[in-house]
Amino acid sequence: MSENRQIFTLKQVVSSIRKTLEERYQQAYWVKAEMHKLNLYPSGHAFPELVQKENDKIVAQVSGSIWSHNFQRINRQFMVVVKEPLKEGTTLLLQVKVAFSETYGLSLQILDIDPNYSLGELQRERDETLHKLQAERLLNRNQQLNFPLLPQRIAIISADTSKGLSDFMKVLNNNPWNYHFFTMLFHAYLQGDMAVPSIIEQLKRIEKVKDHFDIVVIVRGGGGEVGLSCYNNYALCKEIASFPLPVLTGIGHSTNMTVAELVAFRNAITPTELADFLLQTFHDFSVPINDAGKSLRAYSKRLLEIHSQHFASETKHFKNSAHLYLNASKNKLVQKSQQFNAEAKTLILRKREALHFAQKESIAHTKRFFKIEKEHVLGFQLDLPQKLKALLDREKRNIQEAENMVNLMNPKNVLKRGYSITTINGKTVHGEMAIQEGDFIQTKTYDLEIESIVQKISKHEE
Amino acid sequence: MKNELLYTAAFEELQQIVRDMEAGEITVDELSVKVKRAAELIAICKNKLSSTEEDVNLILKELEN
Repeated sequence: MSENRQIFTLKQVVSSIRKTLEERYQQAYWVKAEMHKLNLYPSGHAFPELVQKENDKIVAQVSGSIWSHNFQRINRQFMVVVKEPLKEGTTLLLQVKVAFSETYGLSLQILDIDPNYSLGELQRERDETLHKLQAERLLNRNQQLNFPLLPQRIAIISADTSKGLSDFMKVLNNNPWNYHFFTMLFHAYLQGDMAVPSIIEQLKRIEKVKDHFDIVVIVRGGGGEVGLSCYNNYALCKEIASFPLPVLTGIGHSTNMTVAELVAFRNAITPTELADFLLQTFHDFSVPINDAGKSLRAYSKRLLEIHSQHFASETKHFKNSAHLYLNASKNKLVQKSQQFNAEAKTLILRKREALHFAQKESIAHTKRFFKIEKEHVLGFQLDLPQKLKALLDREKRNIQEAENMVNLMNPKNVLKRGYSITTINGKTVHGEMAIQEGDFIQTKTYDLEIESIVQKISKHEE
Repeated sequence: MKNELLYTAAFEELQQIVRDMEAGEITVDELSVKVKRAAELIAICKNKLSSTEEDVNLILKELEN
């Protein structure tokens, strides 16, 4: 340690640093930095921590300070331009002056924050969320769910102090048609830094009991357009888009629709409008049921009328037809029987005439027959003597002839004509007899009986 | 969920009966049965419009798990 060393007081050192810094950094600069923490004090002054991150690591860090009057002015501008208050964790474009205090050290005194830059940042976040969801094909996921016929059991994400919630409940509960909804409130922050995690948490709780609910609604209102930027948050929008139940939003006016509203199953501008939509779905269910009742009545009545008319006319028709048929049959029967009578009479008459004629005929025939027979007999009678004589003559002739024949045949007459009869041992001789030379034969003539011996036998030719 | 299905089915069945009627596909023989059935279905649907049977305690219990 040297003796001539110069010793400074702490104040001298920091004053020197302050002077050097003040000389070196006289003007104000525009700096892009993330406001890590706002650190707003009751005095109205804020001492935000400014950081720069690279790959999520802090590579630069410095404290900032905003005096109360600046803070108020900046916040007002933000509300007008960005529709959001200053928010932690966002990148801001800050107008700063380097300040050094002997007691507090180095800080950046924030004179102004450019709201247009922040607006651009929000827009960028919105675009980024949209792109990511699109890349993951989640944009229309919730909208592709089937909407329940009756969205009756509603999980509500809202805050019990929200004007939007009370508007929504009023419309649902005071509906004049007595439609009944079952609602359960899942409390969440609807804006600000806590909104994203608290809404996500409630969505996850609802998912656990999703079988008890038909739809989820997120309602918020009364606050105008301020504080909607959380609804562009990627994590929240992804949760909504991929939720297993239809998520409907009624989160208030926005000139630029938030991504949450875009990916929701349905977006209504106000909670009241959302409630009206739900009532309309009940109407859509109820009206056809009432119509069905009416058309059932009307149709049944008409059907029965048609059938009873039909039946009545059929009955009448049947009666007429039966009557006609009976009459026709009766007439036919009468006609047939008349015809039969007439025909029978004619037939009898004809047969009687025929009989009469036959009778006459037969009498005539008989008479004629007798007459002819009489004439025959008479003829016979007349012819008889002559015929008898002819007959007798013929018979006489016949007998004469026979007598002649007999006479001719008489052996005596034969013998008389010169013939003779030869016998041997009393039998007439003819070819077959065994006659031999030396036999003794007898020959009879008309007046002699000769006995002789056979000398020679020979056959003669004839 | 069971109720949901029941009344969705009820609604569809009702619509079908009405369609059949309008198309003249219901005979007098079926009429009283169909009308009775339709009346039941209407009652189920109407009842559903004005009532829910959710057991809040059950939901809360499930939420705690």
